Amino acid sequence: MKRENRLGSYGLRALVAGVLITISQPLIYLFIRASDKSGQEILALITRQKTLDVLALTLLLLVIVVLVNVFLGTAIAAGLHYVKIPYPRILLVSTILPLAIPSYVFTYTWMAIFPELEGVWAAAFILSLSTMPYMILAVTISFQRIDSGLIEVARSLGLSKSAVFTRVILPQVRRSISAGALLSGLYVLSDFGAVSLLNVETLTVSIQNLFKSSYDRGAASVIGILLFLAAAIFVLFESILKGRDFESRGAEGFQERIRRISNPGLSTFAFLVIALYGFLAVVIPFYVLISRYLQNPSVVAFSDLFAAALSTVSVAGLGAFIAFILSLPLALLATQGSSAVAAISGKVILISHALPGVVVGLALVSFGSRLGPLYQSIFLLAFAYAVLFLAKSVASTSAALTLVSPQLKEVAATLGKGKSSIAMQVVFPIALPNLALGVLLVFLTAMKELPATLMLRPTGMDTLATEIWSFAAISRFNEAAPYALLLVIIAAIPTFLLTIPRAAQSDIEKKVSYL
Amino acid sequence: MKKSWVVAGVAVAALILGGVSWVVSGSDSSGEQVKELTIYSGRSEEFIAPFFADWEQESGIKLNVRYGDSAELAAQILEEGANSPADVFLSQDAGSLGAVSAAGLFTTLPAGVGGQIEDIYIAADRSWIGVTGRARVFAYRPAAVSVLPQSVADLTKPIYKGRVGIAPSNASFQAFVTALINEKGAQFAENWLKAMKANGAQIYLKNSAIVEAIDKGEIDLGLVNHYYTWEVSQALGRDIDVKNGFFSPGDIGNLVNVSGVGVMATSEKQQVAQDLINYLTSEVVQAKFVADTHEYSLIPGAKAPATLPELKSIGSPKVDLASLEKVQATQDLLTKVGLL
Repeated sequence: MKRENRLGSYGLRALVAGVLITISQPLIYLFIRASDKSGQEILALITRQKTLDVLALTLLLLVIVVLVNVFLGTAIAAGLHYVKIPYPRILLVSTILPLAIPSYVFTYTWMAIFPELEGVWAAAFILSLSTMPYMILAVTISFQRIDSGLIEVARSLGLSKSAVFTRVILPQVRRSISAGALLSGLYVLSDFGAVSLLNVETLTVSIQNLFKSSYDRGAASVIGILLFLAAAIFVLFESILKGRDFESRGAEGFQERIRRISNPGLSTFAFLVIALYGFLAVVIPFYVLISRYLQNPSVVAFSDLFAAALSTVSVAGLGAFIAFILSLPLALLATQGSSAVAAISGKVILISHALPGVVVGLALVSFGSRLGPLYQSIFLLAFAYAVLFLAKSVASTSAALTLVSPQLKEVAATLGKGKSSIAMQVVFPIALPNLALGVLLVFLTAMKELPATLMLRPTGMDTLATEIWSFAAISRFNEAAPYALLLVIIAAIPTFLLTIPRAAQSDIEKKVSYL
Repeated sequence: MKKSWVVAGVAVAALILGGVSWVVSGSDSSGEQVKELTIYSGRSEEFIAPFFADWEQESGIKLNVRYGDSAELAAQILEEGANSPADVFLSQDAGSLGAVSAAGLFTTLPAGVGGQIEDIYIAADRSWIGVTGRARVFAYRPAAVSVLPQSVADLTKPIYKGRVGIAPSNASFQAFVTALINEKGAQFAENWLKAMKANGAQIYLKNSAIVEAIDKGEIDLGLVNHYYTWEVSQALGRDIDVKNGFFSPGDIGNLVNVSGVGVMATSEKQQVAQDLINYLTSEVVQAKFVADTHEYSLIPGAKAPATLPELKSIGSPKVDLASLEKVQATQDLLTKVGLL
């Protein structure tokens, strides 16, 4: 029994290693390409003024967006959860819906209204609007899990409402705030659409420029490695800041009884802030897309639109499925207490998440073109999506796994359950909703992906994103509008699913608690 | 239980590998009548698709077209190397063709192919053939520019400070700088680029963005290709307040670049690919390019696009377009002066 266990554990580690090697292809590619350059050239490239400026600008943008997310995003989530506001469901949906809008579409729509929009502040504004849902989603979920009994106790001990928030609630959601900051920060590092349109040269734009010139893949790869290092430092910094966790979980049922604060002043304020965010991030893009569409309704080829939508959904769906499969060994490893290995693999995946689509695309072109007909098939494209967005599924997975209280596992263990059956019968049922969340996030992001899609899609296949690109490339924004609108509407469906309260989850936990 | 996960993982991996080997072994199409041709097209679908559709109708051969940015497609072809599924690469500019040609991935086209095209628009080693002509111009807003520049060197003068737009990451600008280096030397080009930067040249990502910025009044002039004023006006559905200007005859700023086409050395469909090139360079189709996409025909004596001077009378500098393939030096220079 014991021996078998160990073997299984080795097998699992081998699987995890396999996944890591597979998803490290882009990084391996960068190192191979960068080695075309001599050490001296690399040093010159990294230390030249331009590179330093770009690096500084990228970090500035990262810090601004992350700070806005940490403060405003958390505040919005708190407002949604703890303050009595009118139309809470609609407001919640409208704060998550921006996830459905690709950053380049976001930027196009805003530029349609303010054509002179450009520069680092504009980019910070747009990127904050488009990454906020990650923070709101992460924090809201963890608010829902806080034991409200603890809040009652704190109140009865005479803590004021604000003291309860800062001393009882915030420490418990710190990990989620941190995760939200991580996702939004990595998004900023890898984003190409918004920054390139707003004329802000971040590392990603530099890489794209150097690659586009196609003939200097070495230099582009050196900058790519620089971006990778920046992401690595950011990820490590986050894990230090996040610190240790303290989370309380009481008996079932307490979570349902949140008493919302109904102070009229606070309610109005919270309502206004949240509604303003929804207006800027949802109403304006939709308004522009719809009005552009109406300006040009006759030229829409509905068969093209339908075909593009179908390929978008199927490839993104396949990509999400592959990402889910790839994240399973990691999740399993994490549940088995091999925390060091699991933590390291988690970090590697997160850092890779900062690599822009063009790097992943070219890496897979380089490796994939040797695979015969598999190259430029939907499978390789879906695989690219999985590589690009695995972090989203892994982040949700590990968040899910930390939600499972250690006591629960101990209880199961004292009942004579083995590690693997604890994983199967206790951990996974609880983690499942969050695993689903990961799949949805990958699906959603994959639908919006452009650079890797352009390189890896089957010849002749259009997705909604490539159609938008091909019209926008020749400045025909009105003709791009129906494709953008459809993309946003389709993406809104899984986004909407993300906001549905997870009743089913507590059922599972109830079952588990009787194990 | 744990074991079953491992087994499942192994099974999935085996399935995937099995699938791969099955797919790989299942392909073979040589020696049969050609029914399809795969094209990587750096020219946008909107403008080139009608030409492709006509040819499909005429030849009965299906075209699989992969659209993308010329330079990105060139990068992709370089990565694919001998494994490229492409038969033909149609590029917006000579630079991307040059990169593929320099890597030895194009075949040498026989003498008769594209026979009508003027020799200067064909690579000296016949690795690619020009399809349409694209003149570099300065686009400007007539009301705002009273003194027109006579040379690109004029743009570094104080009267144009902060008023000129350029797109250094764009292939067409890089081709122009390459020509500048080849004609006047690297030092001259470096000084010019530095002077442009010091004179507050505004950086844009695309030619069309420059034309739009001129129309909006953000800047007054910009270095672009000639057809962008037409294209932007078409896209906006209205006349725009932007005109094309040419420098003095012979100035390097009047460079005429080409969109062109080459056939991959690895293609097993050489004959059909050559037929396609002959079609695109025929008189009828060249006239259609002039009328429909506002580009220049490369057949000697052909009509110019509406409102523009004839190709001959532009006084474009004598530049060996094949030499524009050496963009590496251009890249390095643009990187060095901080424009990339």
